[in-house]
Amino acid sequence: MSSTTAPSGLARARKGLAPGGPGGGSRNRKDLNRKDLNRKSKLSAQTSRTFFWLLLPSVILLVLIHGYPLFHAGIQATHDGNLIETGNFVGVENFANVLSSPAFWKAAQFTLWFTIVGVFGSWLVGLGLALLLRTKIPAGGTFKVLLLLPWVVPIVVSSTAWNWLVATPDSLIPSIFRNLGLGTPLFLADPTLAAVTVMIFKVWVSFPFMMMMISAALASVDTTVYEAASMDGASRWQQFTQITLPLIARSTYISWILMTIFCVNDFPTIYLLTGGGPVDATTSLVVLAYRTVFQDFATGPGVAIAFLMTMTLVVVSVILYRQIRKSSVE
Amino acid sequence: MSAVLHAHPESGPALGVATTGKTRRVLSEAGMRGRWWRFALILAITAIVLVPIMVTVILALTPAPNSTTTGLTLENITGVFERTLAATWLQNSLITTLATVVVSVAVAAPAGYVLSRGRSKAVSGYSLLLFVMQSLPIITSVVPLFILFAAMGLVDNLMGLTIIYVGSTMTVATWMMAAYFDSIPISLEEASWIDGCSVFGSFSKVVLRNSLPGVLSTAIFAFLLAWNDYLVAIVFLRSNEIFTLPMGVQSFFQQNLTDWSGVMALAVIMMLPPIIVFAALNKYFSVGGIGGSLAGR
Repeated sequence: MSSTTAPSGLARARKGLAPGGPGGGSRNRKDLNRKDLNRKSKLSAQTSRTFFWLLLPSVILLVLIHGYPLFHAGIQATHDGNLIETGNFVGVENFANVLSSPAFWKAAQFTLWFTIVGVFGSWLVGLGLALLLRTKIPAGGTFKVLLLLPWVVPIVVSSTAWNWLVATPDSLIPSIFRNLGLGTPLFLADPTLAAVTVMIFKVWVSFPFMMMMISAALASVDTTVYEAASMDGASRWQQFTQITLPLIARSTYISWILMTIFCVNDFPTIYLLTGGGPVDATTSLVVLAYRTVFQDFATGPGVAIAFLMTMTLVVVSVILYRQIRKSSVE
Repeated sequence: MSAVLHAHPESGPALGVATTGKTRRVLSEAGMRGRWWRFALILAITAIVLVPIMVTVILALTPAPNSTTTGLTLENITGVFERTLAATWLQNSLITTLATVVVSVAVAAPAGYVLSRGRSKAVSGYSLLLFVMQSLPIITSVVPLFILFAAMGLVDNLMGLTIIYVGSTMTVATWMMAAYFDSIPISLEEASWIDGCSVFGSFSKVVLRNSLPGVLSTAIFAFLLAWNDYLVAIVFLRSNEIFTLPMGVQSFFQQNLTDWSGVMALAVIMMLPPIIVFAALNKYFSVGGIGGSLAGR
């Protein structure tokens, strides 16, 4: 990972999140606007016709893969159907049933913990490693690349390896615990321990992403600021909290938003390691929605769960998004 | 790899002298010691972090418990191709992924161009719509799509799978392309317009030709999403010979006794393409990677 491309990647991630999509850079936009006026007179009619055709495939796909399903999901959520029939209109009954079922709240609680640990756990590990790799270390670049591997390797592969390591009492890691006289922990069979294991797995998968985001942000920090601060007698900790953290605040909030979305929407990390068990201890909302639809064949409640999840996600994203706006104003 | 990772930190100083001969004199004794402490620390962390990946490779290359071979062997890998449909799964994964990459770029590049150059309300509204759609969990749309595709005969079908992959990559892919086109000066196009080029002509001949890095990042993103996907595959694929690699790997776990050598051999095959792409194109990876994660793998 070369540090020269990383900031531009970050810049694009920022752009992607800017209101109204890409092209949010103000200087860029002003430039284009001025040029825009020149060409408008000559090319306007031809341009808009061409733009229409260029956009058409994308619009068709958006309607087919996103618009129509969303519309249909709205119908399903308010009907008592299954995968074959739409069923009868039941209004908000599915939502009421879902909201009054203990399984939903249990899954919501797990999703919340999974997300909190996933976001902040991977952020802390990523921050620590990014700071460590920023100092002069022999072969530092090699480590930086090797540490990205957990995130490059497909989840199906890494979950298989984790399964081999922890699944049964005779697996490698429980055996090590036993030989150390620490008992035989049932990493995937004990409800609490299984939840912890899934969260650690998620942090293992996600920290490289955080490390990359933070490294990119740190690379753009001017090091002379630190020299000035230490001349003024600021301690290491003060430098960290007063200089480093504020300077990476923006990319931190962006990475938190993204990671929140990944964690809440995550299916394979959980499903492949535990299948949602034992006794539903690691059933997140996505896993619950999947099971409700494809194992219990109750599409209405399943889609209702997905909708409730989406709404929560939108609220959390908006809150964090405001934080970004605030931090970029400062 | 493991030999390097387990090298004892004390055996290091020679390397330090070799690589940092110039700066060594400047650093104080304590600074040098600090560097080697940090080296030892990062070495230990990396070794622990990579345990699952090393385990996968080691198990794939060591003989199965019932085998008579000793030492490292490729018999697990050849065996998995003989005993299972691994070759078909690999082929299915390659076809779906390549088709997704090509179609995604073909759809996202023109749309991204419009988002980058267009200034009307409709265009910025469309851009916002893409953002909203992308943050919706895929599980919401998977259920209605399953019903729709079942009616069209696209369930348990690689084309159906590809359509969904293209649909789910296109939101982020379009932004990525748009963000790249933003960095290409419009004066290039204006010059070509003066030469009598149409808007489409200047897009395809001038803009697209200068956008290789943007195209590659988008392609990497689409590649990762399609290659790694499990949720769509588990919903839409039913029969063994239509499975993609993730489903193939998972099919090993349905028997009571897991054939670990076989599954790890297939796992190694599955993780090689992303690692190769990562190694070859890591310059473009950060951008593609961020997009890739956006999809919520």
